[in-house]
Amino acid sequence: MIQVLSAAVKKGTTDWLRDSVAAWDRFWFSPRYPQVLGILRIATGLMLLYCHCVLASELFRFLGDHAWINNATAVQLHDGSFGVADAGWSYLWYIESPTVLVAHHVVTILITAAFAAGMVTRLTAPAAWFLQLMYLHRLTGALFGLDQIVTYLTMYLMLTPAGSCYSVDAWLRRTFADKCSSRRKLAWLFPEATPSVAANVGTRLFQIHLCVIYLFGGLSKARGELWWDGTATWFAVANYEYQSLDMTWIGEYPRIFSSLTHVTLFWEISYAALIWPRLTRPIVLLIALAVHGGIAICMGMVTFGTMMIIANLVFIEPHWLLASPSDE
Amino acid sequence: MHLTAVFVPPLAFQTRGPIGSSPSIETLIAPVRRYSQFLYIDRGYAFFAPDPGPSHLIQAAMDDGENSSVADAPMTERMIPDLKDQWPRLSYHRHFMLAEFLNEIYHPQGPPSSLVEQNLEEASRWQQSRARYVAVRNSIIKHLEHENPGKRVRIRRLEHRLPSFVEMINHPIELDDPQLYRILADPAFASGENTEDVAPLPNPNLLPKERNSIQLFEDDRSEESLQ
Repeated sequence: MIQVLSAAVKKGTTDWLRDSVAAWDRFWFSPRYPQVLGILRIATGLMLLYCHCVLASELFRFLGDHAWINNATAVQLHDGSFGVADAGWSYLWYIESPTVLVAHHVVTILITAAFAAGMVTRLTAPAAWFLQLMYLHRLTGALFGLDQIVTYLTMYLMLTPAGSCYSVDAWLRRTFADKCSSRRKLAWLFPEATPSVAANVGTRLFQIHLCVIYLFGGLSKARGELWWDGTATWFAVANYEYQSLDMTWIGEYPRIFSSLTHVTLFWEISYAALIWPRLTRPIVLLIALAVHGGIAICMGMVTFGTMMIIANLVFIEPHWLLASPSDE
Repeated sequence: MHLTAVFVPPLAFQTRGPIGSSPSIETLIAPVRRYSQFLYIDRGYAFFAPDPGPSHLIQAAMDDGENSSVADAPMTERMIPDLKDQWPRLSYHRHFMLAEFLNEIYHPQGPPSSLVEQNLEEASRWQQSRARYVAVRNSIIKHLEHENPGKRVRIRRLEHRLPSFVEMINHPIELDDPQLYRILADPAFASGENTEDVAPLPNPNLLPKERNSIQLFEDDRSEESLQ
């Protein structure tokens, strides 16, 4: 009896381990089509380009020796002068010349535009990401959620063949098909829009990162009182500095704004679990659209709200975007 | 390693308490700390958390530096952020974050002499936090002086309180009504004025080695020499 039980336990454990390893393998290393990544690249690239263009209109307010936070102070905020040093380093701390700053910014805009258009994406994606990092570490004190999400998306997209479709690269590959198929370097530079492990790994990394963002966003809210007593949504719409659409009429409907508060809190905390099953995924994505759309329209953060909606597209299955079933 | 760098920093942010961070989380974050800092993934993701709170603004006043009396001088005022000054909304939001940042890093003058005597390390941290606030505040003043040549610049921090929905129903009020604004600690500061009262420097050799506080004491003393 004991032997039979022992054998059953052993077999059960072995099966469980084998299934777990297979699931892990499927999760990370199943080849994935790049179509969703192509759309994310366009949207992320355009948002990054917009950020750089807005910064261009007031470059010397934020960079250089006469900026709101000047070069010397920016260095001190990272080098340990005020506590522990961190690894947030930027060469922009040391650029004083307005001419060099302008030239650098023009190059940044051109590279970011190329990334958005999918032009030599294998090179312009990492370049756009690195330049963005340099700006982030220089703009300490003037950053917010938009900067985080747009940077993370760029970082993960550069690991994937995101330029293989809806791009200049795809057109170049079609134009020079013979050369691309015969030369390895060109084949790597202008990849085909076929399923790849790299596309899947990049997608999975960003999906997990997005889950972490929502989980801790929710847990942070759960430490407060207003997210529990239902008034957080009221206080968000009553914030004059954020307001882009007057929603204070909602104050007359406590049941509505408290429901919105509770739904937001529970959605954010449960996102990391409910986004994966096919049954609950559409509901989670619809709430994401509503929450971030509300932030974009009512709270003056069109860029951030839009970017978060775009980020959620990473959970869309690429086969929905394929031209025909034969593409699969 | 990357996934650890993604997951642990917000966890460290959440587990930070009055006596420091959780020892186990500190152990976890140590190998990935610099990696996550450089990649800018060392964030807490605490959007509108734990509670949506009041906004913080910077009010700046520029007057003719040639006038000796501030009361007689023609003065222009501006608020940071201001939708009239900053467009598009992204630019406004960057200025808003700047004002919030100045408030977030605010640290009162000090430390008191009693703290210097009792806990040198804590006193050193106080000085560093104060020095950070002073450096950023001075940089903002210097920027405004650069934009307004020949003017004397004074700034102060404001808090914009949010009315509750009960208040709003019982006594409707405009969200930008002056009575909702509150002037925050530290009087308006003008460049060239030294308002700091710094505790005397104890023997700097006694300070913990990892804290570069000697320079800070000097910086605090010569605050008028803006960077």
